[in-house]
Amino acid sequence: MNNTVSQILRFIIVLLLQVFICNYINLFGFATPALYLLALFLLPLELPLSVQYLIGFASGLFVDMFTHTLGVNALACVLFMFVRPYFVKALNGRKTSETTDRPIPGIKDFKWLITYVTILTLLHQALVIGIEVASFKNFGHTLLTIVANTILTAFVILCTEYIFFPVKGKS
Amino acid sequence: MNNLIEFFKKNFHYFLLAILLVVSIIMIGKSMAYSKYKFAKVCQNMVGPIQKNWAEMIHRFSLGKENDQLTQQNIALMREQENMFIEKDDTLRHMMTPTDSLHPRSIRLYDYTYAHVIYKTTDQAFNYIIIDKGSKDGISRDMAVTCPKGVVGVVSDVSENFSSIIPILHPDSRISAIVSPINQVGTVVWEGNDPQVAYLENIPQHLEISLGDSVITSGFSNIFPKGLLIGTVKEVAVGKNASFLTIKIKLATDFRRLHTVYLLENLYKSEIDTLKANFKNE
Repeated sequence: MNNTVSQILRFIIVLLLQVFICNYINLFGFATPALYLLALFLLPLELPLSVQYLIGFASGLFVDMFTHTLGVNALACVLFMFVRPYFVKALNGRKTSETTDRPIPGIKDFKWLITYVTILTLLHQALVIGIEVASFKNFGHTLLTIVANTILTAFVILCTEYIFFPVKGKS
Repeated sequence: MNNLIEFFKKNFHYFLLAILLVVSIIMIGKSMAYSKYKFAKVCQNMVGPIQKNWAEMIHRFSLGKENDQLTQQNIALMREQENMFIEKDDTLRHMMTPTDSLHPRSIRLYDYTYAHVIYKTTDQAFNYIIIDKGSKDGISRDMAVTCPKGVVGVVSDVSENFSSIIPILHPDSRISAIVSPINQVGTVVWEGNDPQVAYLENIPQHLEISLGDSVITSGFSNIFPKGLLIGTVKEVAVGKNASFLTIKIKLATDFRRLHTVYLLENLYKSEIDTLKANFKNE
């Protein structure tokens, strides 16, 4: 029970951080971290799929309201939530799901996590920026923005995860 | 029928997914096509005020830089003011060699620069101010110091990187001034205690001075140019020394909130001082 409350609180805090701080970061003039993906990455995998979709949609729309791009992040997040379970299944490979399958450090190793975070972020950022630009003009710059955003976002998210979920009992 | 409901329940998330995707695509399409999209307006009204307050808070972090830019702009404007120049009404020479500069018949007498206050006292008997510029930056003794609101004081000592200022709030400070409408010359002195109040001396008793008259620099000392505001008359009384009035003035400068100061240099001060030195009575 307590766990659920803290999860919801964490979710809200991450969204607010995104809206009030990360949206104002503009590294090298184009890279803005999408920290709020952290909230989606940490969602428990065993939640009903429809709830996951709704949460994705709501958080995407919330961010959209502040960036005046209604629908863009919402669409990307819904697709993100749709792809996530399949992606996790593919990453886990043959190993059938353990009792506590949470995508956090300590349960998954670094290689698993970095693939999980980077690929899904790339997908999300490609969608968001692709929809916003919606043309192949300046394709190089668009690609650069996508890659830069992905690297920055993945870095920030992984750092945050390792800070707040310290790996215990490592010999 | 039961089967249909069962099917619907089982695949509910697919329907939801489809609905959410369609909704967001519609939103994207609408917000791109119409500027009068109602939902966008509703969102704007909800988020706008929060974002505005937040932007103002963030803006505070860049105020320092912005202030510096404004200070520089101010100096550029103040350098072109009329009291920075003296008229050289040399009509004959002017006619022979016409120039088309901005002030063809005047020469620059004063020049401006600026500095930041790094230490100051306002409530002592002998107050002083230290600024972050020194001889390396072209500051020299006896330069005039002002701020956007009014006169501050005079530079007294200069080291390589810093300078000290004797403000009006110092018993040794004497600034030649005029009371504005009647143009009577007097001296502004400070007599302790209140960093907002100073006295104007040497105004004869027969003159009529009303409350609120402004006291400005006279320009006779060759330190301050003419016409900088020192303060306004607050109280007029007949002094003990019967021939002069005791005039209390409220200083225009708020010494407690002094941060950026402007420094004025009289470019011909040494020349004028040499002439003055010939008269031994000074």
